[in-house]
Amino acid sequence: MNQIHSPMSTFHFTGQISGGDLFEIGRRGFQPALLSGYGDLSKLRYDFPLVLFKEGNGAPCIRSLCDVVSEILNESAPTGMEGERLRKSALRLEEAVRVLVRDGNKGSLSELWQQAESNLLSQNGGDGTPKLDEEILKTIRDALPENGEVIDYDEDTPEKVMSHAWNTVQEEKARKFSLRLDELTLKLMNILKGDSMKSATAFDPDALKSAVGSSYESAFDFNSMSDILGTAFVPGALPEKRWRRIQSVLSTLKAQKFFPSMSGKNGKKRRENTQTYIFDHCAPAMEAFRLRLPKMVSLVKAMTIAQLEIESRYREATHDPFFRNYDERYLEADDLAMLPAYLICLRNSTDAKAEKADLIEVLSSGLPIKVLAQNDDIVEQLSIASGKLSFGVRGSQLASMALGLNDVFILQASGADLYRMHQSILNGLTHRGPALFSVYSGQSGKRTRTAKNTPEKPLYLRAAAATDSRACPVFVYDPGAGDDWESRFLVDGNPQPERDWPVYEFGYEDKDMQRFSEMIAFTFVDFVAMDDRYGKRFAGVPRSEWNDLMVPASTFMELDDTTAAGKVPYILMIDENNDLHRVIVEARLIQAARGCQEMWQNLRELGGIDNSYARKALAAEKENREAQPEQIAALSDDVETDVESVSEEFTAPSSDEPYIETPRCTTCEECVEINNKMFLYDDNKQAYIADLNAGTYKQLVQAAESCQVAIIHPGKPINPNEPNLKELMARAESFN
Amino acid sequence: MSMPIAECALRLLEEEHPIDDYKGRVPRWCTGCGDNAILAAVQRLCRDEQLAPEKTVFVSGIGCSSRFPHYMNTYGFHGLHGRAMPVAQGIKMRRPDLHVFVVTGDGDCCSIGTAHWIHALRYNMNMTVLMHDNGIYGLTKNQASPTSPQGLKSKTTPSGTLLEPINPVSVSLGIRNASFVAQAVDWIPDMLYDIIEAAFHHKGFSFVRILQRCPEFLPGRFDEWVKDPSRMLLLNHDDGVKVRPELGKVYQNLEQHDPSDRNRAREIASTYHPMPVGVLYRNQEMPCYEDLRKPDRLYTPDVIKSVLEKEFDQFTIHPAA
Repeated sequence: MNQIHSPMSTFHFTGQISGGDLFEIGRRGFQPALLSGYGDLSKLRYDFPLVLFKEGNGAPCIRSLCDVVSEILNESAPTGMEGERLRKSALRLEEAVRVLVRDGNKGSLSELWQQAESNLLSQNGGDGTPKLDEEILKTIRDALPENGEVIDYDEDTPEKVMSHAWNTVQEEKARKFSLRLDELTLKLMNILKGDSMKSATAFDPDALKSAVGSSYESAFDFNSMSDILGTAFVPGALPEKRWRRIQSVLSTLKAQKFFPSMSGKNGKKRRENTQTYIFDHCAPAMEAFRLRLPKMVSLVKAMTIAQLEIESRYREATHDPFFRNYDERYLEADDLAMLPAYLICLRNSTDAKAEKADLIEVLSSGLPIKVLAQNDDIVEQLSIASGKLSFGVRGSQLASMALGLNDVFILQASGADLYRMHQSILNGLTHRGPALFSVYSGQSGKRTRTAKNTPEKPLYLRAAAATDSRACPVFVYDPGAGDDWESRFLVDGNPQPERDWPVYEFGYEDKDMQRFSEMIAFTFVDFVAMDDRYGKRFAGVPRSEWNDLMVPASTFMELDDTTAAGKVPYILMIDENNDLHRVIVEARLIQAARGCQEMWQNLRELGGIDNSYARKALAAEKENREAQPEQIAALSDDVETDVESVSEEFTAPSSDEPYIETPRCTTCEECVEINNKMFLYDDNKQAYIADLNAGTYKQLVQAAESCQVAIIHPGKPINPNEPNLKELMARAESFN
Repeated sequence: MSMPIAECALRLLEEEHPIDDYKGRVPRWCTGCGDNAILAAVQRLCRDEQLAPEKTVFVSGIGCSSRFPHYMNTYGFHGLHGRAMPVAQGIKMRRPDLHVFVVTGDGDCCSIGTAHWIHALRYNMNMTVLMHDNGIYGLTKNQASPTSPQGLKSKTTPSGTLLEPINPVSVSLGIRNASFVAQAVDWIPDMLYDIIEAAFHHKGFSFVRILQRCPEFLPGRFDEWVKDPSRMLLLNHDDGVKVRPELGKVYQNLEQHDPSDRNRAREIASTYHPMPVGVLYRNQEMPCYEDLRKPDRLYTPDVIKSVLEKEFDQFTIHPAA
């Protein structure tokens, strides 16, 4: 019982440091031990900075700088030692670009690359590194892709990436739409042109003259030609109503403002008259959609009519009433999907009640509206229960709620996952219904007061830690990927998804410089420990007081209450001098971590990992198989009975009755040539006996004899007075 | 691009085509000819798929089978001997929206038209090819064809043919780009229909060899298979054709053959005892030539003009001195 009153236990239960040598970690720049290797991200080749490419012509629109460089090296650097200099130079330049971006420089990839080149050349060889070779630099520079904007990770990254992906998807959509529109317009114009070629104006002397051209105009008498042609009767001029209908469709197609027209001279885009599709709140987006709806209806209607006119399938009697009543009820998801999607970028605004209500309306509308809900904080104190931690309220709950709507594409991720998940982002943007991208930026707990002498940890690390600690697990729900949860719901974007907490190797040296390594888990507690606001929930323990009652937090969470009694959970942290500490954790934080663990377990089950239904079914099946082999025997008896009953259904009629095995008829005309009243073809052009009285038994026997596949069975004669019956019956015998 | 509601509503408004809508002139084939069974199966397919007659075209060469387009009430092109496929390719290239069928015979395809056939397989354009194979020139009254059985006496081979017949299925399987190769027989109508249906639904060049009886000039040629179902081998697979249960009772010689297995397909194709019937090979990944050649822009008058002008700008014509 003494142990419960130890300073460590007291801190664990009360959060108060009362005696002992426990110390606060708040101002000492403590970080979870596993983050010790990530002091300077610019030295590391990782997902950021990103390069956003425009007009990729099929190439990916988002790529990481290190992937771009690796690809150049794969393609341009010779294998072996020969390419070593090129590889080293490219990697030095890549690092230099990363430093430039970290220091706030902005620009395109080629601009930053050149800047990095000149920086390195100016100190060429001065810092002891090998000199850079101009020739090699040129080779790399020439291989660099163009048009890429380089962005580093910051709080605006999710919005930048999303807008860029949205633009890429819209441009592709606009290209397809424009092609379709041009095709319809061209074909409709051809109909009108064909009509005009048959009209009187086409036979006008001036029109004929311009058609011939200037080279040979003296060889023709256009007045006489016009007289002769004018008298010719040309049938098939367009009826006035059809002509007007086509004109009206053409003007609707031309007036559309949903996409910029690409059919300008030389195929250049004309940007005028396009509308805005990116919003920062739901209400204006919905309003814009409502206002544009009539135009959408008339455009889709015009395109449908155009298609019918082109195929000459427009029938006024049926189609006029149909199109008179054509309104928004007829607009389907596929129609809307061909028009631009809306993008709403929300930032920490989903806690406003009105916005939340609007968001639910947007997501349940089935409309192609894409929502980026960026959350800057996922660990908050609950307003109604002071001191209690809540996490993921804004992010996870929003995404989980949307799961219930069924047709919404959902991606939950932290900003650090954006590059890995960029294909899912594109899938969500091309999904024909609404999409929700719930992204945690890593902003929460950003230090307001920087701890003495310790540099700020990059935002990227916090975002990445949110994924690793399961505080913001990655999941994708893609309703377009299939019909069942197995194909729709994915959690494999998470590190080590089969575990509750991911486990990594951590190496350190003791005071005698001996190297050790151990596997440690990265938990929700570690994630919270990165957040200065919650520094008071942790207390450092001097090495002299370390004892066996201290248990790693991940292990502690697995203990039941009895085993846990007396034990105190700790996590490993490092201070600004890279010294390792055990830091004990307050009980309420462990409680929150357990909540996080359960939430992750639920999500994982949905994703088919360690699924409780599957486990039960597997156990039941195993039991079943082991249990009764005789059941299987009984089952096969049933099958045999079924087979017998099926074969009875196909039993041929008795041999007295004439019949044809119609499904086997090869339509060879033999029988219908003999008597086309007795034998007829059915809907599949296969013969059957239609009327026995329409012919003689002799004809029936002849038909049976001439049938190529011997499927006519003459049976017995129905008229006993027919001559030569005995001989005929003898001939028929082999066919019955 | 799809316009679902509008399209559905319009389809509902449209008439349904009964089988008679696809019947053209009265066939002048001999009674008992296997061509009739193929015609019936194709007309059934058109009815079941509700193919718009004005969107469907049958192209043929010369021969009994090549009279086919006359008997269909669709567009048709009764062309030159052996040249059905290049004509069909031209049609598909210019009008990819049409359903293109090619009807050819063993003489038309495997003799004078062999080069076109091989290259059509290679180009893999989306069309359905029905090769009626009766092993004889019937229209010109009894001359040996490349698929005539060895030793056949005919007007051109009075002492009997000296050579082994060509096996059109094996040849087709030898072409790297072949994407659909099947064999059917006219005397199992349901299987014939199912194979033609699978061929129609395959995107690419679907080659179907149909063994077909000629009661006039080669009677009894296929009797051993027609009369004895146990000498037939029906190929069954979810990715090819699923043999109907009622057929399985008569034709009990079934093989589960995965049409993606080209090597096994070659083995099956090389035998006539038992006679294989079904989809031997199918590769849905093979690109179609018309897709590879699809222009990425629309040839509007402006575009055509600018392309021509760019081309002309490369030349300078000096007036004669």
